[in-house]
Amino acid sequence: MTSSSRMKGFITLGLLPALLLYLVFVIIPIIWSAYYGLFDWKGIGTAKFIGLGNYLEAIQDPIFWLSFKNNMLIVAASVFGQVPIALFLALFLLKNSWFHKFIRSSVFMPMVLSSVVVGIIWGYIYHPEIGILNFLLDRLGLSSWKQLWLSDPSISMYSLMVPIIWNYIGPYLIIFIAALQNIPSEIDDAAKIDGVESSRKLFSITLPMIWDTIKVAVVLCISGSLKAFDLIYIMTGGGPAHSTELLASYMYNNTFSIYRFGYGSAVSTTIIILSLVLIAGSQYLMKKNYR
Amino acid sequence: MKKVLSIAITLTLTISLILTGCGKKESGNETDQAGGKEKVKLSLWHNFTGDDQRAKTMRSIIEQFQKDHTNIELDIQAIPPDGYRTRLKTVAAANEMPDLFVMWPGVMTKEFQAGKLIQPINELLESKPEWRDGFLPGSFDAFTIENNIYSAPIALSPTSILYYNQSILDENGLQVPKTWDELLNAVKVLKEKGITPIALGNKAAWVAQSSILSSLADRVTGTDWFLKAAAQDGAKFTDPEFVQALQYLQDLGNEGAFQEGFNAIDNTQMEQMFAQGKAAMMIDGGWALTNFAANASEEAMAQMGATVLPSIPGGKGDPNTLSGVVGTGLGLGKGATGAKKEAAFELMYAMAGPDAQKSVLESNQLVSYKVELDKSKVTSIFAKVYELVNTVKTTPVYDGVMTSAGAEAVNNGLQELLMGGKPEDIAKKIQDAQAKSLGK
Repeated sequence: MTSSSRMKGFITLGLLPALLLYLVFVIIPIIWSAYYGLFDWKGIGTAKFIGLGNYLEAIQDPIFWLSFKNNMLIVAASVFGQVPIALFLALFLLKNSWFHKFIRSSVFMPMVLSSVVVGIIWGYIYHPEIGILNFLLDRLGLSSWKQLWLSDPSISMYSLMVPIIWNYIGPYLIIFIAALQNIPSEIDDAAKIDGVESSRKLFSITLPMIWDTIKVAVVLCISGSLKAFDLIYIMTGGGPAHSTELLASYMYNNTFSIYRFGYGSAVSTTIIILSLVLIAGSQYLMKKNYR
Repeated sequence: MKKVLSIAITLTLTISLILTGCGKKESGNETDQAGGKEKVKLSLWHNFTGDDQRAKTMRSIIEQFQKDHTNIELDIQAIPPDGYRTRLKTVAAANEMPDLFVMWPGVMTKEFQAGKLIQPINELLESKPEWRDGFLPGSFDAFTIENNIYSAPIALSPTSILYYNQSILDENGLQVPKTWDELLNAVKVLKEKGITPIALGNKAAWVAQSSILSSLADRVTGTDWFLKAAAQDGAKFTDPEFVQALQYLQDLGNEGAFQEGFNAIDNTQMEQMFAQGKAAMMIDGGWALTNFAANASEEAMAQMGATVLPSIPGGKGDPNTLSGVVGTGLGLGKGATGAKKEAAFELMYAMAGPDAQKSVLESNQLVSYKVELDKSKVTSIFAKVYELVNTVKTTPVYDGVMTSAGAEAVNNGLQELLMGGKPEDIAKKIQDAQAKSLGK
């Protein structure tokens, strides 16, 4: 046996447990769920096979598309909010002074909190009666800016974006800092010798060097935002009147409030397909830049 | 070598321990002789996990039962109320029902019966006729399917009590509103003074439906119309009387009866608002009483009064009614047979029998059972509601009768209505959802 094939064998062996777990708890349930989506099933009693009926119903339901639109807003807010802010902060917080450490920890802080806690905190910030935000606006003499942050459907989606961005900057910050620290110092030195200005250095050296990391961050960001559920479920429950419904909360409500298990399964399968399309699309777009 | 040996020994030991463990479990499932009496293992699922008096009472009844019945081994799963229904539905889907479990009347009972997951308890009721006759009229209706009774309720939940704060009404020269016009007038007067007329917390969306619409619509349409519409048999939710009922609710909202942002606060926060005197009125269910007892001050409760929703001019319904449902009871799973069934009946009687009903009532929870109330043991507002409930008739609650999908459409529709949606469009959505879920 050559050493490289031994190495491969060892890698396979090492991956096997994780792969098995992934297969049993992720891949097989996805297939099952797609299969259940073909049935009209209340969770109790017999399931009736109705072919693609559930899938057709989902794509014809205006609330499904409203949830999709809201989800796209969250994806956009995350990709164009979380990733750039995290990158920006990472570029400035690279040093290890206590001040930088302090800022880094505070940015990462919300990530450690349970999303239920985050949801409740922001629920109180936006609270119509005792909310800190409206109170502050009053004190600053900006009473006309006061809003019903979570119950006015024309702004509630935007109100929800703030905690979502705030909550998830942390992990991207860590990823970017790690990537920036991995840029060999020789390249920095070479750039210095060549007399590269800082903005030129950023766009011609730093960003291309960590471009793969940014790509990964964007994929994580898209898939994470498509799964977004907990914060919104706690803060608005998808309401009022479906105005902040997301794909995941739409699926949850159909499955566990109305007990349409078959329909819920069909919706979750549709979510997976939409996510794959979006991630493939974003990868395609990002391939063109820089390379 | 030594290492290998020790590992081998440890492994063998572990495996044999696991195996004996399994063996023990096997024999534990069977009924075996213990002290001349048969030992029975019984699984019980309940949602009495809270810190309120009623949950504590139920837990102490269960503990007492365990002490008195050493031959019955209880396997108890106490699940917090928020997740309870979902957990129960999940085991129901997997056909692994517990022997005894807290079950809701109406839709849930029907679904479990249709899935052949529960058994009737007629036997138990017939063996204790004085207990059976102690229940208030209609208590078993929502647990009955084709003459089979599937549970006995341990609670009564009137859903649309109009709570008012007497001192706020007095200060503004107002009477307790008896008619719709008086209510609108009270709203206007209070609004001008900058006081929230009616506290509402409709974030979870069922509040406007269970507490306001169930009674308000009944005043307008009458009960018969609603039962027909829910069954989609001779009436539809697009009928003019229902649209009119929606219009009344929207008018109330447009008059500024509810505080701003009512769709962003929940039922508990609304009860707090009212208890703290930040609103003159509140339309809420009997469940508010246990919360008041636990959280509101004596002085605050002394100011509270309770009545029915005001009458509607020209309405077809009886104005002297409250919408309400009997509360949960214990369901008997299909798996409980023989000695297990006997034991389950004993536990059911302990938890829903006359003594239990009395203790539950004394923990500020209304029951659907004839018990003389000792007023010194409960809060003043509870005593008032107890009297009110005994003098009015009960009408159905929307989500207790409609299908889950239909009720969900009402919930979301009312949020939309109170944000300015058109009553006709909302009525149509409700009609479509109810018709579709019934397969009509």
